[in-house]
Amino acid sequence: MSERRIIDARGSYCPGPLMELIAALKLLQVGDEVEILSTDQGTARDVPEWTAKVGHETVESGDKDGHWYVVVRKMK
Amino acid sequence: MASTPLYLMLSSDDRDTLQLASMIASVAAVSERPVHVFVSMGAIKVFEKGAFGNGRYGDSPLNTQLCAKKAPDPVEMFGQGKMLGDMSMWACSMVLDVLGWDESNLVEDLFDGQMGLTKFLSDAEQGQLISM
Repeated sequence: MSERRIIDARGSYCPGPLMELIAALKLLQVGDEVEILSTDQGTARDVPEWTAKVGHETVESGDKDGHWYVVVRKMK
Repeated sequence: MASTPLYLMLSSDDRDTLQLASMIASVAAVSERPVHVFVSMGAIKVFEKGAFGNGRYGDSPLNTQLCAKKAPDPVEMFGQGKMLGDMSMWACSMVLDVLGWDESNLVEDLFDGQMGLTKFLSDAEQGQLISM
């Protein structure tokens, strides 16, 4: 059964949220998901760009309560 | 298709320049793009073992703000790039000679060794070279 892990990177500057996401993905299994929370404006665009480049999947992204969130599924 | 390797040559000790350099290097490295960093001239002093915090950097326009806002430390960012991605770091052998240093004077577990400029430039013909 897949799991979803939440990484709270609010307050971390670019590329900190991306690095935290990558570190988390390395510890998970294929099919698992990470939801990254960020106050860095670039995260909402940078993370989907990164997932497309390296072959993971952006499940959803958006903003809520003054921060951005991106959910990434590990695909390999 | 394999990504074009990125060759990054560092010579400045200022925080702004190294902040951007470390961002470029670490993001490229974790994006499946091989990155090779050559550290020369004043930049090498930033990587001296025992140097600590913002004091290791030269002055630059955004130094105060980057420190106050707790932006990721460039030396630590290079370390993250190495740990999470495909990245190698090389110390300029000429500058080590000038300073009377060897690899033991540098931050531990960050450098892959020392290298001459000729070898680095030769290797860089296979990719994209950026000097900062």
